[in-house]
Amino acid sequence: MNRCALAVSGGIARVTEAALGPYQTAVIRIGFSATWLLFLLRELPHRQELYGPDGPWSFGLAEQLISDNGAFTALMWSDDGLWFEAVYAFAVLTSVLLLLGWRTRTMSVLFMVGVLSLQNRSVFMGDGGDNVLHLMCLYLVFTRCGQVWSLDERRERRVRAARARGERVVDRVGPALWGVLGLMLVTVTVAGELDGDVTVPVILWGVWVALAVWWVVGRLARSDEPRILLDVVGNIVHNGALLVIMAEACLIYATAGWYKIQGSRWQDGTAVYYPLHLDYFSPWPALADVLSASGTLVMLVTYGTVIVQVAFPFTLFHRRVKNVLLAAMITEHAVIAVVLGLPFFSLAMIAADAVFLPTSFLRRLGDWAARARGRVFRREDAPKVPGQRIGDEAAPQNRGNPENPDHTRVGFTA
Amino acid sequence: MDAYDGGSNAPDGADGVVEPDGREASDEPAAGPRTGVAALSLRYQIGAAIALACVAVAVCVHIGMVFLHVAPSNTVTKQHGQAIDDWIYPEFEQNWKLFAPNPLQQNIAVQVRAQVGRPDGGRTNTGWYDLSAQDGRAIDGNLLPSHTQQNELRRAWDFFLATHDAENRPSGLRGALSESYLRRIVVMRLDRDGAAGRGETIERVQVRSRTTNVPPPEWSTEQVSEQPVFRVLPWWSVSADDFEGGDR
Repeated sequence: MNRCALAVSGGIARVTEAALGPYQTAVIRIGFSATWLLFLLRELPHRQELYGPDGPWSFGLAEQLISDNGAFTALMWSDDGLWFEAVYAFAVLTSVLLLLGWRTRTMSVLFMVGVLSLQNRSVFMGDGGDNVLHLMCLYLVFTRCGQVWSLDERRERRVRAARARGERVVDRVGPALWGVLGLMLVTVTVAGELDGDVTVPVILWGVWVALAVWWVVGRLARSDEPRILLDVVGNIVHNGALLVIMAEACLIYATAGWYKIQGSRWQDGTAVYYPLHLDYFSPWPALADVLSASGTLVMLVTYGTVIVQVAFPFTLFHRRVKNVLLAAMITEHAVIAVVLGLPFFSLAMIAADAVFLPTSFLRRLGDWAARARGRVFRREDAPKVPGQRIGDEAAPQNRGNPENPDHTRVGFTA
Repeated sequence: MDAYDGGSNAPDGADGVVEPDGREASDEPAAGPRTGVAALSLRYQIGAAIALACVAVAVCVHIGMVFLHVAPSNTVTKQHGQAIDDWIYPEFEQNWKLFAPNPLQQNIAVQVRAQVGRPDGGRTNTGWYDLSAQDGRAIDGNLLPSHTQQNELRRAWDFFLATHDAENRPSGLRGALSESYLRRIVVMRLDRDGAAGRGETIERVQVRSRTTNVPPPEWSTEQVSEQPVFRVLPWWSVSADDFEGGDR
């Protein structure tokens, strides 16, 4: 009984005092935004055909479907070609900014607007990869995914250093961005463009109000307590969203795996042979022939795929086994990217897998990336700020520094 | 959350280890000012507790709804299907039966021909254009196939099949939309292929699918028919709506 109570209070302390998995949430932020960015750049020549007002899934057809299902898409606000170009450019821009972690919370919302606007406009163009991005862009909004590896984290560090030197730092960009976006939000709401399904409007308004509360409390509150409470709420929401993201990834694998078990081709060990010989999924027919030349090999890969997919959610309770399976799944997705010609689906799945990567590995990856960047840029503007390490990636180690007593707020402003 | 290794101890910057059974190693509270709920007075702690309860409920409900949405039809989904659909659609829809329960074992090619009106008032039928074969060639050797090559026609045909019966009669709004969509795709593609010559106009189009079994592997003793199966749709009249920009 006592142990049980202790465990509960320990758990509560954990999910309230910190936004867990800073590296994991940062890596999925980078992964999903990069996937979407690369997809948008690749489809640049085809953007009109996919999402434009005169594409085969025309404005009129989309209008009829959306008036039926109420999905959110800014592309239905106007059938003007220029509006379409603006939304596409907006989607590209917001994915770059989310990737860099600039004003991460705001950008995660705008990124979501970009993804949903294009995907919901033409639902019949997407595949599983689009589906993953669609869900994850909604979940990302609730996470503090800019705690590390982001411009926000660098800015926070600089602000703190400046404050330590006794300088006054005023953020003008944040309130300005909030004001402009608020004006747009009011405009589209009044114009009745958000009258469909409530999910997205609730998120838009909720985040906008939350940012205002955050700013006001940070500025005006006389005691520390309101600020700490908001921080605790932010942590709770983040940790809840992180749990949803991980559960979603598990559901993807569980569904894919358990339904396969019921299929005769997955049972007789030939399933993997067939996709390799579909015209739509065989960019390298010769390679597909080589890979499926051995019946034993095909059977092993077929069984292995099912075993890994079904087993994965259960292995989360054992760190080492989980990591082995994770490596196997990431490898399989990398192979699928080329062999089945599904690069963006695979990238999105690898990004989702990355939420389960161990922190030690991600840190090494970050250090390696920082060194690589250092070699490329040969910067002469080496540490100016006391206590700053080379590269943003080393930042969390600053936690023990005297100018950083503020444990729970590292690298994040709202 | 305990299953989530590494991340749980990362915010402390310590390399402490979480035991597999979820208990933390005993290097817990580091020195420093108290933060989190412990730093709050009772009034604010109640606020935090309410937030925690709300988020916990929302997370559980959402995960439960998504689970029921992807699970096979069962007792609960039969009773509460509407509530689940209301929660999931439109933004949380998902389908993860990837190559399951069985991967597709047939190549389905969508082909189209047109009746074009000549300037002299006569009409001619073009030959069949194999649009899927064109897609297949565009994908061959392509590291980055476009959705226009890999998904557009393929999924439009799936959409058509899902919203039509065996006699090609549409069902509901979606049936009508899928016809319109398919027609616009084939007209666009015929236009690109130059099906209508100078001064000629596409008046009608006819779509058919050609389904062939993927030949079984060499190492298999299985026999399948190599004869293609055709599904031929009736001729469709083409209106101005079916051309690019014609449907605004």
